[in-house]
Amino acid sequence: MIPLQHFLFIGAALFSLGLFAVITRKNAIQILMGIELMLNASILNLVAFSRYDKVDNTGQMFGLFIIVLAAAAVAVALVIIMNLYKRTQNIDPNKANSLRG
Amino acid sequence: MENLLSPYLLMCLAFVAITAPFLAFLLSLIFKKVAPAIGILSIGASFIASLFLFLAVWKKQTLHFSWHWVQLQHVKIDVGILLNDLTVIMLLMISLISLLVHIYSVEYMRKDVLKYRYFAYLSLFCFAMLGVVLADNLFILYAFWELVGFASYLLIGFWFTRDKAVQANKKAMIMNRIGDVGFLIGLMILLTQFHTLDLSVLFGPENLISSSFVKNGLWVSPFNTMPDYWLTIAGFCFFAGAIAKSAQFPLHTWLPDAMEGPTAVSSLIHAATMVAAGVFLLLRIVPLFNELVLTSMAIIGLFTAFMAATIALTQSNIKKVLAFSTISQLGFMILAVGVGDNAAAIFHLITHAFFKCLLFLTAGAVIHELHHLKEKHQLDFDEQNLDYMGGLRKFMPITGFVFLLAACALSGLPFTSGYLSKDAILISVFQYADVNGGIYWLFPLFISITSWLTTFYIFRVVFKVFFGKFRLSEKLSQKLEVHEASRWMTVPILILGIFCFGFFFAFNPFNLDSAWLYKGFNINQHNEGIYHLIVPLYINMLSIALIFTTYYVYAKKTININFQGTWFYKFSYNQWYFNSFYDVFLIKLFLVKTKIFYWFDQKVIDGIVHFLRDFALILSKISSWIDKYIIDGLVNGVAALVQRIGIWLRGTQNGKLQHYFIWMLFLFLSFMIYKIIL
Repeated sequence: MIPLQHFLFIGAALFSLGLFAVITRKNAIQILMGIELMLNASILNLVAFSRYDKVDNTGQMFGLFIIVLAAAAVAVALVIIMNLYKRTQNIDPNKANSLRG
Repeated sequence: MENLLSPYLLMCLAFVAITAPFLAFLLSLIFKKVAPAIGILSIGASFIASLFLFLAVWKKQTLHFSWHWVQLQHVKIDVGILLNDLTVIMLLMISLISLLVHIYSVEYMRKDVLKYRYFAYLSLFCFAMLGVVLADNLFILYAFWELVGFASYLLIGFWFTRDKAVQANKKAMIMNRIGDVGFLIGLMILLTQFHTLDLSVLFGPENLISSSFVKNGLWVSPFNTMPDYWLTIAGFCFFAGAIAKSAQFPLHTWLPDAMEGPTAVSSLIHAATMVAAGVFLLLRIVPLFNELVLTSMAIIGLFTAFMAATIALTQSNIKKVLAFSTISQLGFMILAVGVGDNAAAIFHLITHAFFKCLLFLTAGAVIHELHHLKEKHQLDFDEQNLDYMGGLRKFMPITGFVFLLAACALSGLPFTSGYLSKDAILISVFQYADVNGGIYWLFPLFISITSWLTTFYIFRVVFKVFFGKFRLSEKLSQKLEVHEASRWMTVPILILGIFCFGFFFAFNPFNLDSAWLYKGFNINQHNEGIYHLIVPLYINMLSIALIFTTYYVYAKKTININFQGTWFYKFSYNQWYFNSFYDVFLIKLFLVKTKIFYWFDQKVIDGIVHFLRDFALILSKISSWIDKYIIDGLVNGVAALVQRIGIWLRGTQNGKLQHYFIWMLFLFLSFMIYKIIL
């Protein structure tokens, strides 16, 4: 039986890596990938904690829910990125600042 | 007369008498060409009104009209008219003399450019003088008293281009102010003590003065009580007013200087009426004076009479002699009040007014004619100097005769008015000495000497001016002729001349008892005693001897006495050095004092002010610096800080997505750390 800590450590590491990618990457697709990592880290945590809810399996339910949501969000995001590229020939999010207040 | 003239009508007459000159004063300034006519008509109206008032009131009734004016809590001041024996006799005398002087002035001022102004001032003076006489309370009297002084000031300085005249009127004003302060203080004391200034309430029948008394060192009246020395102070204060107005020692020096005015003015104001106002005031309020004040009055009167007579002996200016003679005679009157013979004071006041006015007018005629001579022949000499006159009797017989008559009256020779009035005073002084005895015999001694001196100095003038040879003619070795004065001048002079005769005042000019004016005020006293026989006799015997001596000294020049150069001649000629004394001890001292004050003002007061100014300047600079750098700095600093923070925070809103992420992370972590730590 794998102890809970191990799941949490891997989740935290995945989250940190995702966050790092979101903050540092100059490419919108890479940032999107960072977001996916962070989502997956949170799914991992939910699934790990579902061990304590064997009757309803709420954690796994939420995990599935998030996977579906993430797939939809990635589809929308990729469309946005493509439209951005079409307009500006560039997918660096720092340069897409025309909506700045 | 009572049936004909109701009190109401008399009141109207009194109003006419007083308002006519005032109207004339205003009208003269508007209708300049007819100013003399306006003046004469108005004073004529006053004279006629006064005559009716005299006939209705004299020895018959006392009338008092008054109206409310000021009502304070305890003090009531009315304005009104008081008509009693003293008022009407003064009224008659003043209006008559004023009328004659007005007529005389027409000729005397004929060539003056500012004639209208002269007549306006003269009318103003008449108004004020009649006001003094008619006033029914001391407050109104004081107001008119000041107005009289002001009119006198205007007329002394009438020839305002002459420096001496300006100096003289300034001197008269200042000297009179000194006395007026006394008068005012006296008024206030009376007002505090009796809560009224009404003359008839204070001094009339059943008066307040007699109901007040001195007991245990306190002066008690129905209204108030104060220490008894205030009674003496009040007396002295009023006396000070009279001293200044009547030119008594030590405030007499303004009167000789006042001779800078036109001679007609000198005769009216500075001989007959205004200077008598001081004596008049004393007579009005005589019940107020206690023994001490009366004795000082007698002493000052005596001293002034004697001093002025000695000064008059040597003066070379004809008007100066007459001025000192006036001072001397006023001294006689004050002395009479002091020894308690008020009737004699009034009597002498009236007779003196006539003959002294006459002396001045005749002297004026002489001066006027000599002035003509000077202008006609382009000569250069002082027309008032006795040394250039002489023998004028041949050229000016009427003037000469009238002057001689007035001189006899002044000397108190028999058949003249002066004989009655002056001897009345002399007799009273002898009786006063007889009652008191001892040192009081100095009074009759000195007053007799003064009386003889009077005879000497006035006959000196008579003989120097009208007898002997015309010295101006001799000095220039040129035949000069002087003309008699014109009728405008001789007629008033002759009318005044009638009043110099004793017959006018008494049926028997040798008997004081038959003098109606004297008896009018002297009801209780009995005029009997050895002095009534002896005094006139011995005074006049010596006087006549003196006249003969003077005749031989100054007219015939057979007796040659030369006092010039001796100390007493110089002492007298320099008027007892009073002017020099005042110059050195008062004016110089005053100037030194003002210089000290000036220095103090410049150095100390201004120094303090300047120091404060500099101090304030430095203080303001400091506060300006603080304001600029600290207060403003604080405000600007806050603003700059806010700006800086704003700029910095604005940097966060840069539209860069990842920066927002970093911020979100940072804030989230901070919040977490914060929650964990707490």
